[in-house]
Amino acid sequence: MTLKELYEIIGGDYDQALRVLRVEKLMDKHIRKLTKGGVVEQLIAAGEAMDPAQMFDAAHASKGMCGNLGLKKLSDLASEIAEEVRPGNPRTMTDGQVREKLDEIAALYRRAVDGVRQYEQN
Amino acid sequence: MIHSKQIQRQKLVLVVDDQEINRDALGVILEDDYEIIYAEDGAQALAAIESNVDRLSVVLLDLMMPVMDGFEVLKRVNADEHLNHIPVIVLTAEKNAELKALQMGASDFITKPFDVPEVIIARVARIIELSEGRQLISAAEHDRLTMLYSRNFFFEYAHRLFHYTPGLRLDAVVMNIEQFHTINAVNGRDFGDDVIRVIGAEIRAFLSESHGIATRFEGDRFAFYCAPQDDYQALLDRIQGKVNGISPNVSVHLRMGVKPWQEGTDPTFLFDCARAACNMARGDYQNPLKIYDEDMRKRELLNQRLLNDLRSAVEERQLTVYYQPKYDIQCDPPRLSSAEALIRWNHPELGMISPCDFVPLFEGNGLISVVDSYVWQEAAQQIVRWRDKYGIKLPVSVNLSRADVFDPTLVDRLARIIEENGLDFKDMKLEITESAYTENAGELLETVRDLRQLGFEIEMDDFGSGYSSLNMLSGMPLDVLKMDMKFVRNIESSATDMRLVKLILDIARYLKLRVVAEGVETAGQLNLLKDADCDLVQGYYFSRPLPAEAFEALIEREMNVERG
Repeated sequence: MTLKELYEIIGGDYDQALRVLRVEKLMDKHIRKLTKGGVVEQLIAAGEAMDPAQMFDAAHASKGMCGNLGLKKLSDLASEIAEEVRPGNPRTMTDGQVREKLDEIAALYRRAVDGVRQYEQN
Repeated sequence: MIHSKQIQRQKLVLVVDDQEINRDALGVILEDDYEIIYAEDGAQALAAIESNVDRLSVVLLDLMMPVMDGFEVLKRVNADEHLNHIPVIVLTAEKNAELKALQMGASDFITKPFDVPEVIIARVARIIELSEGRQLISAAEHDRLTMLYSRNFFFEYAHRLFHYTPGLRLDAVVMNIEQFHTINAVNGRDFGDDVIRVIGAEIRAFLSESHGIATRFEGDRFAFYCAPQDDYQALLDRIQGKVNGISPNVSVHLRMGVKPWQEGTDPTFLFDCARAACNMARGDYQNPLKIYDEDMRKRELLNQRLLNDLRSAVEERQLTVYYQPKYDIQCDPPRLSSAEALIRWNHPELGMISPCDFVPLFEGNGLISVVDSYVWQEAAQQIVRWRDKYGIKLPVSVNLSRADVFDPTLVDRLARIIEENGLDFKDMKLEITESAYTENAGELLETVRDLRQLGFEIEMDDFGSGYSSLNMLSGMPLDVLKMDMKFVRNIESSATDMRLVKLILDIARYLKLRVVAEGVETAGQLNLLKDADCDLVQGYYFSRPLPAEAFEALIEREMNVERG
């Protein structure tokens, strides 16, 4: 499996990632890190505990990382969560709606991780 | 051709972001053009900035980070005068943060994600270019060692203060270091730089308490345009005190000239006057502060006139050589032994001018060599005239100034005078002032050795008036010590002074040097010196300096005594 094929499987924007990271070597390095745990997993964990401070930090970091990797949907969802729990912002969603968003993030993340594992096996 | 890239080191960029992917993304964009270092949080960033302060061209700073966020880094960098010249570009995806960062001193911002690398490269290059331009202007504006203004900026700002705030009263002050070139030569350039830095720091401290601006220029010259002070001596003492603390082994003396504010007088004139006052204090270690006043203005005008008139004085023979006899007092009666040639200036309009009024002036600018050459030539011809007229050889001493001693053609010039007049080298003795021996001693000793090798006798003039040491004396190529008149003045009334004179005589005997006592005015002084085995005396007791014709009476009297 090529990196480009991986991006097709996980629904990522290969060209966007390449624009940011310039070389496939860096794309390869950082996409593989998805399986090592990290900010998205921290966001999911913080969401289960409904801890707004930790959710904000993890969502902010996830937004940036996923954006750089061309995982636009994940990045946008993380951004929505970040704005929802940003200190000083008024809440616009119920906890239930936030959980739905987090479930969506978890599903996308799992899909990405599975794809990366297949990519690593190849 | 050498290109600027061969001279410049690669520019250093600090990338600060807690996300490795962001650090990598920026690194890969910038690595072709810059050397890059990284930090993962604000605390690491500050440490990296401090340890690379002289090399960092720009910092790319994420705002949201653990440990210390980017806003705190910005705040600390901008509050630190050693760091705040380094431009900071913030990395953010949030509009609100952009404005806040710019208000806190960020130079620019880069929006995440970093998907248009050309924009990032261009922004980084532009900010570095702007910052370097600003630093170049700052470097031209300030003196590197002292951080005081450079000369051109100082005078520009002084004139602006004068023109834009006419009610502001500011005095002009000029300060110099005595013999700074010697301090550098003896103690090394680094020591000299330390002295400059200490003075600069103290002036800045003074100006932080008072109003004013200051500059350093021409190496050791400081000038400040400051609110009038009640006590400039206290200001000079304050700066001198700091300088004294640099080294217990090196004496550094400052002098200061002040021109008080004067309504409607522009800074250029005020500083010309302050500089003249400072020049008047040259070498006056007892009174190193001079306030410019009307007397000084007259003195300055006189000095200028004397400088202008020197050439015609030589051409029209207004300069006259007088002769003061030296007597050998171990003979009975004392015998005329030799004479010292002394310059006098009979100015057609100003009348007789004391050498005290023009010798130090000409010594200060090197013109003394013109006067000295004139005296050497005149004295040589006079020795010949007396030889021919009386059939005697009466040696005459002439003075060598500092400027002569360090003139590489000196030995040849003197030798030519001896040769052209058909004299022996013993006929003309050379007096070198004690203070010249303490400056650039190596060069002087070489010259003196060459002169002695030719056959000249060397006399150390004004011995004891300055800072010569016994250690120095033992290594000098010398024949005669001329004991300064201050030792002789009180020997009749002060047992201590007499003991000191005896001590000098003992030392001279030990070193096999003859001694001339200067300033002998009474029979009592003469007898005491004779009893102490002093060889020769010079002073008003025997005769004041006389024109050559009048001096001949002394020669004739001496010849009558011999015949009688």
